[in-house]
Amino acid sequence: MPVGTPSDLVIAPMLIVLVTAVLTLVLGRRPRARVGVSLVGGAGYVLAVTAIAWYVVLAPDAPGIATYQVADLPAPFGITLVADGLSAFMLTMVAAIGITSLVFSARTLPELDRRSYYFPLFHFLLLGVTGAFLTGDLFNLFVWFEVMLMASYIFVAYYGGAQHTRAAFWYVALNLLASAVFLLGVGGLYATTGTLNMADLARRLAEPAAYGIDPGPVVGLLALLLSVFAIKAGLVPFQFWIPTAYRSAPPQVTAVLAGASKKVGIYAILRLSFTIFAGAQVGVDLAVPGVGTVVAGTSPLAFVGAALFVMAAASILVGGIGAVGRSSLEGILAYSSIGQVGFIAVPVAIAATTTAPELRQLAIVAALVYALNHTLAKGLLFLSVGAVRSATGTSQLADLGGLAGRSPPLAIAFFVGSLALVGIPPLSGFFGKLLVFDAAARAGTMPVLVLLVGGSVLTIAYTTRTWNRSFWGTRTAAVSRATVDPVKIGVLLALTGTILAVGIGFEPVYEFADAAAAAALDVEGYVEAVDPADPDAAGGEQM
Amino acid sequence: MSPELTVVLAAVALPFAAAAVTPLLFHVLGERTGYAGGAVAACCFGLLASQYGAAGTVELAWIPSLEVTLRFTVDGWALLFALLASGIGVCVFLYSPAYMHGEPGLVRYYAALLAFMGSVIGVALAADLVAIFLFWELTSLCSFVLIGYHTDDDASLYAARMAMFVTVGGGLFLLVGFLLLSIVAGDALGPAAAFDLAAMLESSDEMQRALREAGLFVPVLGLVAIGAATKSAQVPVHFWLPNAMAAPTPVSAFLHSATMVKVGVYFVGRVRPLLAGLEWLLLFATLGLATMTICAVLAVASTDIKELLAYSTASHLGLITAGFGFTSVLGAETGVFHLLNHALFKAALFLIAGIVAHEAGTRRLGDLGGLRHDLPITTLVTVVVALSMAGLPPFSGFYSKELLFEAAVEAGHVHDIGPLEWLYPAVAVFGSIFTVLYSLRFLSLFFGSRPAPLGEVSIHRPPVTLLAPPALLAALTAVFSVDPELAVRAIVQSGVDATAVSPHEMHVGLPTAYSPAVGMSAVTIGVGFLAYPFYGWIHERIRAFPRTLPPVSSNWWYDAVVDGLTDGGAWLASRVHNGLLRTYATWTLATTCALALLGFAATATIVPADVVGLDAPPEAALVLLVAVAAGIAVVRSESHVAGILTLSILGFMIAIFYILASAPDLALTQLVVETLLLVLFLLVIEEIPEYDEVELGNVVRDSVLSIAVGATAFVTVLVTTDARPAETTALARYYAEQAVPKGGGTNIVNVILVDFRGFDTLGELVVVALAAISILTLIIMRTGGDSE
Repeated sequence: MPVGTPSDLVIAPMLIVLVTAVLTLVLGRRPRARVGVSLVGGAGYVLAVTAIAWYVVLAPDAPGIATYQVADLPAPFGITLVADGLSAFMLTMVAAIGITSLVFSARTLPELDRRSYYFPLFHFLLLGVTGAFLTGDLFNLFVWFEVMLMASYIFVAYYGGAQHTRAAFWYVALNLLASAVFLLGVGGLYATTGTLNMADLARRLAEPAAYGIDPGPVVGLLALLLSVFAIKAGLVPFQFWIPTAYRSAPPQVTAVLAGASKKVGIYAILRLSFTIFAGAQVGVDLAVPGVGTVVAGTSPLAFVGAALFVMAAASILVGGIGAVGRSSLEGILAYSSIGQVGFIAVPVAIAATTTAPELRQLAIVAALVYALNHTLAKGLLFLSVGAVRSATGTSQLADLGGLAGRSPPLAIAFFVGSLALVGIPPLSGFFGKLLVFDAAARAGTMPVLVLLVGGSVLTIAYTTRTWNRSFWGTRTAAVSRATVDPVKIGVLLALTGTILAVGIGFEPVYEFADAAAAAALDVEGYVEAVDPADPDAAGGEQM
Repeated sequence: MSPELTVVLAAVALPFAAAAVTPLLFHVLGERTGYAGGAVAACCFGLLASQYGAAGTVELAWIPSLEVTLRFTVDGWALLFALLASGIGVCVFLYSPAYMHGEPGLVRYYAALLAFMGSVIGVALAADLVAIFLFWELTSLCSFVLIGYHTDDDASLYAARMAMFVTVGGGLFLLVGFLLLSIVAGDALGPAAAFDLAAMLESSDEMQRALREAGLFVPVLGLVAIGAATKSAQVPVHFWLPNAMAAPTPVSAFLHSATMVKVGVYFVGRVRPLLAGLEWLLLFATLGLATMTICAVLAVASTDIKELLAYSTASHLGLITAGFGFTSVLGAETGVFHLLNHALFKAALFLIAGIVAHEAGTRRLGDLGGLRHDLPITTLVTVVVALSMAGLPPFSGFYSKELLFEAAVEAGHVHDIGPLEWLYPAVAVFGSIFTVLYSLRFLSLFFGSRPAPLGEVSIHRPPVTLLAPPALLAALTAVFSVDPELAVRAIVQSGVDATAVSPHEMHVGLPTAYSPAVGMSAVTIGVGFLAYPFYGWIHERIRAFPRTLPPVSSNWWYDAVVDGLTDGGAWLASRVHNGLLRTYATWTLATTCALALLGFAATATIVPADVVGLDAPPEAALVLLVAVAAGIAVVRSESHVAGILTLSILGFMIAIFYILASAPDLALTQLVVETLLLVLFLLVIEEIPEYDEVELGNVVRDSVLSIAVGATAFVTVLVTTDARPAETTALARYYAEQAVPKGGGTNIVNVILVDFRGFDTLGELVVVALAAISILTLIIMRTGGDSE
């Protein structure tokens, strides 16, 4: 295979972050060099992701999907990396928040990196996230999950205080449970289908008879995996680690945890449910004595949809109501993240439940656009909190007040971030809200619309409270002393501008999301691109 | 003549552009920025006026994939509202520099005011549902910033948040209504018309039929009504408007007359041809008359001049809503004409209130009186606009109120509405009596004698920049009072044409013969004047009511909801996240198990067809039995040491099982891990407190959970091994055949780890490296590093 094809691009972002991580690690005690390498690596990452998005998905003659067979071993025997619209969309989100947070971190260096390993960890975190978005192999997904989690454990424990260590311990404990469940699910799938390659899996599940497999257990196995991904995404009742972990990690890392790591959970749900399991030929029929049929359908999606509806509703309520009562900025944003991921899960549930192809496509677009806005807005807000904390030494509402008068640009950033969460047009958040509401309206499910409206009212309640308590109001002593670093302000305003630009110039963003949704639903295209060897099929070629 | 896209766009965009450069402008001009704002408003007015007489729709592509377009319609109704917004904008901008002299934060003030004006012009002209919603929400946003202008004043912050909560919350309902409309329109009129309000209005009959067929007519009507009612402060969500008087007075003048609150009623007029019908009548006439009456009563209960005017605004918005609610053409005439009249007199009244507060230093009604000696011109201006507000002939407000009375009387002729036929006119008269009362009360500020508290204050005449704007508005009111047909010919008629279902030529004037409406007006004015001497008594009676029964006050409900949410949120968070890992683990595991077991149950695979593995060799069975026994022993052990030692028995049994299953590599790994774990456990065991007495409830919970987790793992393994393909998989065959030729190794496991799946191993190596870094980081950060 010639070097320089879209195929080679697929592995480029992973290589870049891996090399950057190792370099920053070996550079040891030369902080300036470390920051330099880190920023160059970050820029390279953005370039690589942009190249993938353009050459694989967006360019007029783009193939739509590209694969890289690691070590040139044919699928399904080696490990396959796949970049399609969905992966590219997710990576673009990660690149946007990743580079922003990185520049922000560089400015916070004196506080963060005296003798420790902030930058290597940051790049390893990106490596895990990127690997998860690109891999086409289920066990390999597990590996990149572990990389991502291991790096985030350390970030949660980073400041080393008692509360940070405790938060990290809870985080580790719950995620280790998840890892065990993940292994159980992956092992079960391998036992059932005889493969770990996702494309191979999709093909076998669609024609179980041809491969002599019994797809019956896959719904239960998918349920196991769904729990794992729900933990990553922080859906209720798997959200317990979020409030403390998001409060403990450095805010600029939390921006990435909320903006990127969380989305890995959403991505995995989309990829597994729609690209891999959607075609599984298995009837679902769950009846409760006395109630009748609760869930019924001809594919595992019916089950996924029902489970996601319940989790999404609980997330919106717990996150939204909880956020109104919090007393610190991080606390509010952490609860808000629980609620917002519910808003992302609602359209995913709609997509899983419906049988109409247009609505399914629309609902996934809605989820993706909402996720994009959450990454940008929540990233901006967490970075703003980082700036507030550096400047004032606190993030408690009780100690804040009058920040708007002290730093108008910081206030503008926080205001726009909050409004994007509320979904005020023409910010990116509005289109997320519009599409999610549209999907719910088209699905015609009244309780879901009520839930969405109610959840959005909660968002208004907590954002306005936060604003009044910290940016308006009487200026406190902590705020009077505050000075905000101009470079950080620049970073925040750049992200603010992005949120505005995504909304005003929504057409290309929509097209990208539409391509991503189409890719998520294109089972045949995915299988064809990976093209796993097919020796098991009845009458298939022999090696 | 059809409208010019560039001119329309410029009229909408100019205020936003000006808002964006306000910081620069202020840097150069200082407080004179207000006059620049006035110039911008005048430009917008001029641009809009150049489209006078035009009718039609222009558009600019925005999001073609979603059929969302920046589409603007120019007609009489849109122009009337947009001209009001920009024209009164001129007055407010000219008034502001003198009024806001020396205040901090004027950049924000002028920027928000400009954007506010631009948003309202946008709402007026937009004809695409998404574009309308865009500008609609921007008006809410700008008013949030403006109401909260005094950022260190708690009342301002309270009011700003309340306004945002109510209006943006209401906007959510409007959005759902829009989406339902767009779904129906997309089906009935074609996908391109999905958000095209102009197209929907053109085919309003077809749209209404399609809505009814889809069963969405009433939902859409209700959702639009909620959106409009929250915006236009209709009962029971009127309460945010009186609170919003915390804003600087020029903002109030703008917000009450031609911007924020008018947006709701404007839109009611806009969609009137689309949704009019019996349901429309019942909803909007009732809502409007209820608001008109209740808020007029509350205005009489007010103690602050701005509060009085705020309730009065809500009441008059109720009048406009009710007017549009009556489906006859008289209803449209009422709504359009009163929107114009109210904008003029209410803007003037707020600006006068600002003058009074500025010069007398108080806004308390009880402390003010006899101002005519000090403020003669202001008094003259007030007489015109206050009597217009009262609806006294021959002032302009009289004509539109007469139209309301006529429409109310006629409602029963158009639809069969039972007792509402006489109830509507009766309520309209009852509410209007209070309007007369509070209008007279406002006028009384200038007449009678000065109350004691005011005695010592020396009251200066206002500067001309404060006086000119209200005087100008009063002059216009006077012109329309003398010659109402002028207003009709100029713009009201074309506004009626756009909002009426079947428009016809409109005439207004002083009555020349008796009609029910004339009688109603006579009763209203007569009773109003007769009751005025008892104003104090009525005022006290109304005020006493909410004190004895707090829930009749809407603020009480708002506070209950918001405080309830805040306290409830804190309570919920502390209950859900109680700081106990065992709670978290319980929920996580229980849900996982429930999901998995339900998943297996849903496909009826929870019990495998035939159980495999019964032919296991006896040594394997023995090893597994020992492991099970060790597992039981762990939970029954009395001390940590005993528990750990028994646990390692279990681990070692697994290692032996691996050996029996011909996996010596795994067995070796397992042995190493077990040994290390044992050592580590024994090292830290000292630090762990001994077992306490465990409560029975916890024992039960833990047992149930353990059994559930065990069952889930057991079932998973059982059903998947049962489903395992009978033959060796292709993967296994490939690895066996290719290990030597491709990997150069005879140990398949090794070749898989370092070769076929070397990429996994790379990741795992990173994990190991990260584990090492984590230890270093913990040590560094805890001892010498930064900690917050």
